[in-house]
Amino acid sequence: MLEAQIIKKLRDYSLDLSLTVRPGEILVLMGINGSGKSTTLNIIAGLTEPDLAVISLNGECICHSQAGTYVPAEERRIGYVLQNSAVFPHMTVRDNVAFGLRARGGIPRQEIAKQAARWMEQMHIADLAEVRAGNLSGGQKQRVALARALAIGPRLLMMDEPFTALDTESTQTVKDLTRRFVKAMQIPCIVVTHRLTDSTEIGDRACVLCNGKKEWEGVPSEMPGFCSVCHCRD
Amino acid sequence: MIAIAKRFRQDKTRRKLAYLAAGILIAAVTLYLALPILAIFLRITPEQFFTTIQNPQVISALWISLFTTCITLVVVIAVGTPFAYFHSRYSYPGKVIVDTFIDLPLVLPPAVAGVALLMLYGRVGLLGQYFNMLGIQIAFTTLAVIMAQIFVASPFYLRQAKSLFEQIDPAYEQTARTLGASPLRTLVSVTLPMTASGLVSGAVMTFGRALGEFGATIMFAGNLPGVTQTMPLAVYVGMESNLFLGLTISILLVIISFAIMLAVRLIQKREDPHA
Amino acid sequence: MNGRLTPKRFALISMIFALILAAALFAGCTQSTTSTTPATTAATAAPATPDTTYVATTAATAAQTTVAKTATPVPTYTSSETNIVSFTAASLSGVSPALGAGFNSAYPPHKVAFNLDGTQALKTQVENGAYSDVFISASNSYTNTLKSEGYFVNDSVKTLCTNYVIVILPASNPANIQSLSDLAKPNVKIAMAANTVPVGTATAAVINNLANSTYSQAWKNATMANVVTYETSEPAVATKVSLGEVDAGFVYQSTSTAAAAGTYKSITIAQKDNYLQTYTIGILQESKNKAIATDFENYMLSSAGQQILKQYGFTPAA
Repeated sequence: MLEAQIIKKLRDYSLDLSLTVRPGEILVLMGINGSGKSTTLNIIAGLTEPDLAVISLNGECICHSQAGTYVPAEERRIGYVLQNSAVFPHMTVRDNVAFGLRARGGIPRQEIAKQAARWMEQMHIADLAEVRAGNLSGGQKQRVALARALAIGPRLLMMDEPFTALDTESTQTVKDLTRRFVKAMQIPCIVVTHRLTDSTEIGDRACVLCNGKKEWEGVPSEMPGFCSVCHCRD
Repeated sequence: MIAIAKRFRQDKTRRKLAYLAAGILIAAVTLYLALPILAIFLRITPEQFFTTIQNPQVISALWISLFTTCITLVVVIAVGTPFAYFHSRYSYPGKVIVDTFIDLPLVLPPAVAGVALLMLYGRVGLLGQYFNMLGIQIAFTTLAVIMAQIFVASPFYLRQAKSLFEQIDPAYEQTARTLGASPLRTLVSVTLPMTASGLVSGAVMTFGRALGEFGATIMFAGNLPGVTQTMPLAVYVGMESNLFLGLTISILLVIISFAIMLAVRLIQKREDPHA
Repeated sequence: MNGRLTPKRFALISMIFALILAAALFAGCTQSTTSTTPATTAATAAPATPDTTYVATTAATAAQTTVAKTATPVPTYTSSETNIVSFTAASLSGVSPALGAGFNSAYPPHKVAFNLDGTQALKTQVENGAYSDVFISASNSYTNTLKSEGYFVNDSVKTLCTNYVIVILPASNPANIQSLSDLAKPNVKIAMAANTVPVGTATAAVINNLANSTYSQAWKNATMANVVTYETSEPAVATKVSLGEVDAGFVYQSTSTAAAAGTYKSITIAQKDNYLQTYTIGILQESKNKAIATDFENYMLSSAGQQILKQYGFTPAA
C-alpha cells in the first residue's frame, strides 16, 4: 500500500497532492502535459527530491522530510517503467530482465537464471532471450521493461505513459499483462497516461491533476469531460 | 505533352549533373588526402625501406613513440573518463572556466604549449625549481615527452567523453537506479557500454595526436635519441641528412596510424553490426 | 521547399565547391615559393618551424629570448620585380633585420625577405623545389653539394664571413662551470645542435680536437654523455641556455657577441682546436631576379654589409 503526500515547487506552479493506492489497485494518473504527473512518479521513485514529502510503502517510511528520512532510489524496490521503456540496448533480453536481480547481490546465479527465465516466460518474450534489446520492436521492449521491473519483486509498480509509443495490439498485450500481475502480486500500481481509453480499460481508480493539484478523483467511467479548474480537458 | 516531356528531361539532366558534381567532389577530397601519403611510399623502394628499418635510430624512435603514446593513452583514459563523468553530471562553480581550459590546448600552437610546460616544469620554472631542489628533473626526460603528449592530446578524449555522457538519455541511468544498481554498477554496466563506441573513437584521436606531437616535445623534452627522440622528431632531423631515414619513419607512422584506425573500426563493426 | 536540399541545389553547391577547390589547387601549383615541410604523420602535427612565411624568427624560439638584440619580424614578401628572397642560415637571425634595412637603403626600392632556418632544412627545401633567389649557407659541405647538384650559379658563390664555435653558459652559471674540463662533470646538462646542423658538425669536430689535443677521450665521452638535447638549429641551442634549462651550450661566437650584455657567460675555445665555419653566399639558378640578387650579394660583401656582420660578432670574409 502506497501513501504519499508531496509538495514541490515547480516552475509555473506548486505540486501539492496526496495519493493512496491499495495493494492490487491500479490508479490511473491523468492530466495535460506539464501538470506534474511525471514529477510525482520521480519523487516517489526517489529520483527527484521533493520540497516536503511523507511517503510510506507497506507501512515502511521511505521519505519523511521533517524526520529527515530519505531512502535512496536504489533501495526503494519500486518498479518503474518509462515511456521509451529504457531497455538497455547493448544487453540481451535475458540480461536486461536479470539486471535488477544481479544488482541486488547475494542471489545465487542459478536462482537468477531461473527467475529471469520465469519472467520472460510470463511476458511471452522467452524466444527473444538472446536478442540484443536494442533490436526489438516497441511492444517487445515494453514487455522486457515490465518483466525487468517485476523481476525484482517490487512493492509498487509505476508506469509513465507506457502505451503511447505502442500499436493497438501491443497496447492490449501490455495492459493485460500489467493487470494480471498487479492483481496476482497484490502490489499497488500507478499508471500515468493522457488517454481516456487507457484509464477506463486498465484503471480501478483515476485521478486528474491540473497545475499540480488533484482536480478530480474517482472511478474512471465517471470522469467528467471537462476540467473544472482550467478547462484543459475540453 | 511536349511540355511534360521537356520538364522530365530537364530533371534527368539536373540529376546527372548533381551526380557528376558529387563524384568530382568526392574524388577531389579523397585524392587531396591520399596522394601525398602515396607519394611517400613511392619515393622509396622496398629494399631501401627494409634496410633502413634496421637502423638503430629508427628502432629507438619507434620504441620511444609507442611507449610514450601508450602511457599517454592509459593516463588520459583512466583519469579523463571519471573526470568527464563528474563534469557532465554535476554543475559546480567555475564549470564554464574548466570547459574552456579543456578546449585550450586545441587552439594553442604546440610550440606555445611546449614553452608553457617549460616555464612551469623546467629547471628554473615556477614549480620546476622546487622539483629541482629535490633532485627531480622533468624537462629533457621521457616523462617530459609523455607530459607534452598528454597536454596536447587529452582535449580530444575529454571533449568526446564529456559530450557522450551529457547526451546519453538519463532514463537509462535512472532506470538502473530504480532497479537497485549502485552508481558504480550503473556506470560500469550501463553508461560505459553505451558510450563505449564514442569513447573509443575519442581515444583513437588522442592516440593519433599524441603520436604525431612535435612542437611541444622538442621545446619541453628536447631531442635526444634513445630518450626523447620520438618518430616525428626523428623524421624532421632525418629528412635533412638522410632522405630514406625520414621516409622510412614516415611510412612507419602511416602504417601504425592506419592499422590502429582499421583495427578499431573492425572491432566496432563486430560489436555493433548495425552501426 | 525552403531549406530543403533538392538535387538542383546540391548540384549548385557541389559545383561551387569544386570550383573553389580547383582555384585553390591552381593557385598552389603556380605559387612561386612552396616551402615543403617534411612529411610528418597521418595525425596532425604542427612542427615548430615556419613554412611559408618569411619572418626573422626561427625554429624553436617561440619564446622571446635575448639571443639577438631584436627579433622584429620582417614583413612578408614574395619574390617580385623589386623584392628578393634569401634562404639564410638560422645563425644569422639576429643580424638579418639590420642587413635587410641596410640593403634597402643602399639599393632602394628593393627589399630582401629572409627565410631563416637550419641550413640543412633549407637545403632540403631547395632540393625539393622551393624557390629562392639567394642562398646563404653555414656549411661549406652543404654549399658544395648544392653546387654539384647544379642549384647554384657557381661563379656567384663567395665566402661571406666566418664564425668560430664557443661555449655559452647561462648568466647565473648554475653548474659553476669555469673551464672546458668542467663540461665533463657529472650532472652537467649540455645542449648542442644535431649533427645535421652545420654548427652541430662543427661542435663535434671541436670536441674531437679538444679531446685529442688537451683533454682526454674520457673527457669527450663524459661530455657527450652530458648532452640532453640535440637541437635542430643554432638559435634553439642558445634559447635553451638563455632559459637556464641547460648548463652549457655550443653555439657560434656571433651569438655570444651579439647578445645583450649579461645574457651569457662564455668560454672561448682556442683557434687551434676550433672549427672555422665558413658562410657562403650564392645566387640560385632558379632565381628570376638575378640582377637584384647580385646587388644584394654585392651589398653583403661590401664594407657596409661586412661591417654589420662584424657588429654582430661574425668574422668578416676578407
